[in-house]
Amino acid sequence: MLVQLLVTGLALGSMYGLVALGYHITWATSRTMNFSQGHAVMVGAVIAWALVVALGWPLPIGLLATLLALAVFGALIERVAVRPFFRASSPAWLLSTIACGIIAENVAQLLFGKDARAFPSALTQRPILVGGAGFYPQELLIPVVGLGLMALVQLFYHRTRYGRQLKAVAWNAEAAGLMGINVPRAVMASYALSALLAGVAGVLLAPLLNVAPTMGTIIGLKAFAVAIIGGLTSAPGIVLAGLGYGLLEAVVAGYVSTGAREIVGFALVILVLMVRPWGLLGAPPARRV
Amino acid sequence: MRRSASLLLTLSLLVAAATGAVAQSKEPVKIGLSAAVSGGSAASGEAIKRGLEIAIGEINAKGGVLGGRPLQLVVRDDEGQPAKGVTIARELVEREKVAAVFGGLHTPVALAQVAVWHELKTPYMGAWAAGTNITRNGQSPNYVFRVSANDDDADKFLTRYATEVLRKGKPGLLLENTSWGQSNEAGLTKWLGEKGIRAVGIEKFNWGDPDMSPQLLRLKNAGADHVVLVANAPEGAQVVKSRAKIGWEIPMVSHWGISGGRFAELTGELSDGVAFLQTYSFFGKQNERGEQVLKALKEKYGVKGPEDVIAPVGTANAYDGLHLVALAIEQAGSTDGAKVRDALEGLKAEYKGLIKTYRRPFTAEQHDALTDADYIMVVWRAGKIVPLAAK
Repeated sequence: MLVQLLVTGLALGSMYGLVALGYHITWATSRTMNFSQGHAVMVGAVIAWALVVALGWPLPIGLLATLLALAVFGALIERVAVRPFFRASSPAWLLSTIACGIIAENVAQLLFGKDARAFPSALTQRPILVGGAGFYPQELLIPVVGLGLMALVQLFYHRTRYGRQLKAVAWNAEAAGLMGINVPRAVMASYALSALLAGVAGVLLAPLLNVAPTMGTIIGLKAFAVAIIGGLTSAPGIVLAGLGYGLLEAVVAGYVSTGAREIVGFALVILVLMVRPWGLLGAPPARRV
Repeated sequence: MRRSASLLLTLSLLVAAATGAVAQSKEPVKIGLSAAVSGGSAASGEAIKRGLEIAIGEINAKGGVLGGRPLQLVVRDDEGQPAKGVTIARELVEREKVAAVFGGLHTPVALAQVAVWHELKTPYMGAWAAGTNITRNGQSPNYVFRVSANDDDADKFLTRYATEVLRKGKPGLLLENTSWGQSNEAGLTKWLGEKGIRAVGIEKFNWGDPDMSPQLLRLKNAGADHVVLVANAPEGAQVVKSRAKIGWEIPMVSHWGISGGRFAELTGELSDGVAFLQTYSFFGKQNERGEQVLKALKEKYGVKGPEDVIAPVGTANAYDGLHLVALAIEQAGSTDGAKVRDALEGLKAEYKGLIKTYRRPFTAEQHDALTDADYIMVVWRAGKIVPLAAK
């Protein structure tokens, strides 16, 4: 039973982590974030469904096109819903990104329909049974891809020139601008990357959860909880918090009750906020004297 | 004498010839439908709509009701949301002036609307939602009628099937966490108790839950030898997938919510063998009405055969329900809600319907036209609904 729960928890947890990393990426470069990350998950699943299932594109091409579309989606959100308010240093981006998410959900309902649809995958046809536990190959693929992507993002930040530029913006936007780094473009790139990661989560989850315009809301919310628990400023903290949150959910659902799952999960958020407001591995904000 | 007789004959012939045209020109009698025609259970709403449209077509072809007034259907989408359902109920009665309203698949919606029908004195005919308290609502006079299953009877039927046909004695209950789930928890506990059986476990899930393996694992560990499922299509699909995942080969006996959406598409071959109850099946030898309805389904909606009929109970229940309402309007001689309600309760005409022959289907105490004696058991096989055995 425990093995069963751990596999399920690991798969969901790595997805929370991947989506939550999106919050971190934009927060680091611009101190803003896309509150409709969850909707980006949905947009990814819906576009992939439209291209691969409805139009019958080959899987690799369909997925590549989906990711491209998601990057554009992220950039668009930055341009429309964040930049105008970012400049005026107003916190209105908070509401405007939520608005973007709601619009995306309703557009999806109009174009895609409100029905949940199946996303057939070779990896969810037959479960693998090992001992008393069983799982779909897709559930193993998810943490592998998820953790792999998170590692890639870290490499990108630490090892590539452009990644270092983004880091510089995160460190001190004004100074980075003076050094000749195009700050607005860096922020836009971080939004594109963050939506792209959410889109990957959507594509990976689609065969397990089915595709529906409402699928993103809860994932987005839990990912935000994960980002807060792990610490918005710490990528490793978020990855660990994501896995931990997924495992905790599965274990509580399995041994206590499914009703207790959300109660325990969100109570934990409040607890962490009380003890370490900056998150488990996040850095406390520098004190301004 | 002879002259007046022939005059009468001529007149009646003229009237008969003209009714078709007259039925169009007189003020229509509006019939409302509040159901989910979108969302995960959209197929149920579409099926109910088809049943109503076919019956309305038949009645209008014969000249409508009340001396030539055609029936006209007004459809509203409640999306399975109780709050929307209440708004729609008011809108249908106050703005559209409907004579009666038909209801959809969701028990929470139907329960929320009960008070509105009584306040506005409008008869309601349930075509799907099976919550026991929808019809047994404690109101007198009671404006809520139903041609569909009733959870209490359904639970009796499911219990009988599990214990007498499957010969199983350790049920694990898996219910959705809504008023519909509660309605069945009460019913199943009661009817199992009659047989001296206690459920080994009772598990719940929320709408949209991604994974049901924790609930299934707990039922498995509790020693269940069959699972009684109360779910709609999207969640039912996740249950079946999770069951396959944990590799638990166990008989599943289900209430009928899973037949109201894209269950077959969402589950593929995993749904094979899941047994559930229905009020009607278009498979096998059909009565006259059955032939008629199947023909209309083929002509109007491009249905190829019985295996192609989506959510069949919705169509069958709504079809019979509409004929009963039309008979009641005729008997009442008006579209006044209170009079139609009284007529339904004391319906004089016998109606040879699709599901059965209805003789005095409703009384002051009994507002369910169908009981467990009228239900049948069917099973999913290769994505189609197939009857398990003759009734």
